[in-house]
Amino acid sequence: MNETSSKYKVGDAVIVAVENPTGNPRTPHYLRGKRGVIGAVHGVLENIRDHRGVHKPLYTVKFDLSELSSCHDQDSIWVDVHEEWLSAARRDS
Amino acid sequence: MSGKHGHKPFEGHMHDYMAHVKAVEEDLEYYRAKRFEPRIIYLLRRGVATFYDLLKVRAALKKKDHFFQIGKPRGKNIEARVRYLEEWLDEYVKGIALVSARAVEGMDMVTEDNRKERGDYDDFFKIKKKDHHGALEERMANLEQDLTDYQELLEVFVQALIKRGWATRSDLEQRWKQLHEERPWAGGVIVAKAWSDPEFKQALLATGREALREMGVHQGKVGKLVVVENTDSVHNVIVCTLCSCYPYDILGDTPWWYKHESYRSNIVQNPRQCIKEMFSLEISPEKEVRVWDSTSDVRYFVLPERPAGSEGMSEKELANLVTVDSLIGAGYALEPAQLREREAAHLEPEMPRLRPD
Repeated sequence: MNETSSKYKVGDAVIVAVENPTGNPRTPHYLRGKRGVIGAVHGVLENIRDHRGVHKPLYTVKFDLSELSSCHDQDSIWVDVHEEWLSAARRDS
Repeated sequence: MSGKHGHKPFEGHMHDYMAHVKAVEEDLEYYRAKRFEPRIIYLLRRGVATFYDLLKVRAALKKKDHFFQIGKPRGKNIEARVRYLEEWLDEYVKGIALVSARAVEGMDMVTEDNRKERGDYDDFFKIKKKDHHGALEERMANLEQDLTDYQELLEVFVQALIKRGWATRSDLEQRWKQLHEERPWAGGVIVAKAWSDPEFKQALLATGREALREMGVHQGKVGKLVVVENTDSVHNVIVCTLCSCYPYDILGDTPWWYKHESYRSNIVQNPRQCIKEMFSLEISPEKEVRVWDSTSDVRYFVLPERPAGSEGMSEKELANLVTVDSLIGAGYALEPAQLREREAAHLEPEMPRLRPD
């Protein structure tokens, strides 16, 4: 694990890329183009039982439910997303 | 054959045979198409065990040399036959675990390879699952035939691995024995300790697997473990919208619905409604629902709230209150009175199926 090389920190506002053909394929479609906030920084996780290579740093990103669906409950969805799928977003834009 | 059926916990006498049969159909196809056949294809491509090895082994195989011994139903009535199908499915799944990467030398296969082979990233490669239909009798007969066929391929595959020298029969026999050993379910043990020992709970929430290593329970190996705590103000729920990621290396197999498309799509669209409709669980409006979608290398489980009425119970007693569903957020841990009701009705405690790597 190497958290120091991670680009974002907890609380940073981020936006998920719509497409990223070279990125880790495991970013669900319902997140594409959506805004969230970094909830946890996991860094580069080595998981040799699961992967041949090492992926970019991993974050848990918190999304408001209302950002992702038409449901207006004050609930939240926390999803693990790799760094190459994220870019910085202005918090209130 | 022995072994408890994992995904239909707390069942004494069966009432809905069709539901049991459908659950076996669904799980059997899952394990065949997503767990076993991708492994064969992978090894086939690399020449470890080819089609021709399988054909030759099949032609020479005598019944007395079979690795797997499948018994007969314990009766002719429907209940005995359904139980037989469930137990056979459990044996089939253990058989797949037997030929997992860890057990077989030279089977250099990681989870990501499995996902590629079975078409998680590309529909073109998707292995088709069978459709099932018909009345109960017909479906049971079809399942018996499918299990016979699938078991035969597994038998031949194991024999081919032995013949080609990728595994020895005695190693496989030893592992087969281990796969049938009964031990207390780690989920219950871990949660009971977290309820009883505040220091352990803090360590578990802060460090995940590290804390498990210290308490000497099987800590598993797949990914980083994050444990999320249910409190007065937060109810956590776990899902994997992309496939069915779950800390199965620690907790055993998931309940059947965890892999189901309807759960995986509805829980991130409208969590409260999904929890209410699927599990009859109404989450208080005072609480925030947090859904954790484990899409990558982190595996999650929920630390449920300690139930009312459990004061003064020992860790061993507390462990019996922990259900598989409560570690996903699809239920609460049982109150002691609820456990007593279930025991009075002779309902079996749940014991999730050990899942292949």
